Amino acid sequence: MKNIIVTGASKGLGLCVTKHLITNGYHVIAINRTISTNLKNLKKDYPESLSIIMFDLANVNQIHSDIFQKELGFNRPIHGFINNAAIAYDDIISNLDYKKLEEMYRVNVYSPMILTKYIIRHMLLHKISGSIVHISSISAHTGYKGLAMYASTKGAIEAFSLNTAREWGEKGIRSNCIVAGFMETEMSSELDSQQKNRIYKRTCLKQPTSQDSVSKTALFLLSDDSSSITAQNLFVDSGTI
Amino acid sequence: MENKLLEIINTVLLNRGNEELKDLTKNTQLRNDIGFDSLDLAELTVRIEAEFGIDIFEDGIVLTVGDIISKITAI
Repeated sequence: MKNIIVTGASKGLGLCVTKHLITNGYHVIAINRTISTNLKNLKKDYPESLSIIMFDLANVNQIHSDIFQKELGFNRPIHGFINNAAIAYDDIISNLDYKKLEEMYRVNVYSPMILTKYIIRHMLLHKISGSIVHISSISAHTGYKGLAMYASTKGAIEAFSLNTAREWGEKGIRSNCIVAGFMETEMSSELDSQQKNRIYKRTCLKQPTSQDSVSKTALFLLSDDSSSITAQNLFVDSGTI
Repeated sequence: MENKLLEIINTVLLNRGNEELKDLTKNTQLRNDIGFDSLDLAELTVRIEAEFGIDIFEDGIVLTVGDIISKITAI
């Protein structure tokens, strides 16, 4: 059974992709700050397929000790990583608050980088041609008012992913980003229906991006079916225009 | 401990399709003598951490087999 680390698996897209992984025979190591009823129920239904690590990714300095030394150890190989957890601090730039910006960078950028560091080390130890999938956002490609700071974290992750792919490709390790469009998740829940409709009108399909579609793309990128795909950004965004 | 270190270095060499070493001296240089590149050194680091519980490159420069032995024995 292949072990996949998923961050932010408690709700939204992370929960959706975790369900898809489990039902497709993967073992998920879920890293979450909180645990939802849905994730608890999933653990009850599939006790052998889901391990849950409670950890706040804002604590970048404790990733090595708390996740890798205390929880994972060296014996369990890691085959893939879905970097999903993120916080969205939105405001216009003239109101930028450094403290909020810095916390968002810890969760959205620094922690995924440190997780990638240790996951690559695990892959080297076990000689695994693993797959890393970062969930990026269409906001890094199509500007939206109020999302400059959030979008910049996703731009950073896309650059990191590209360079990960280049650096570790000769070991068979792949890295890709899914550039997700706006989904109906908690992250976009603060937008009113008028704002949402305006965003959806800017897509070919005129509808929100489906969490199932993003999740299944993540499964594809983890699987051997995508063995020649690396260093890419895959847009799963209802065709944003 | 030196024998285990030789075994680990040979594992990294074999994974690259290179020939095993018969012995090591403290002055053996990881890059110049053994021919390790940065990715080999990354693999060496994690194999040593898994065996001895220490990240040899976490602080300071490690150039020779002797440098690694000093780090391990300092635990």
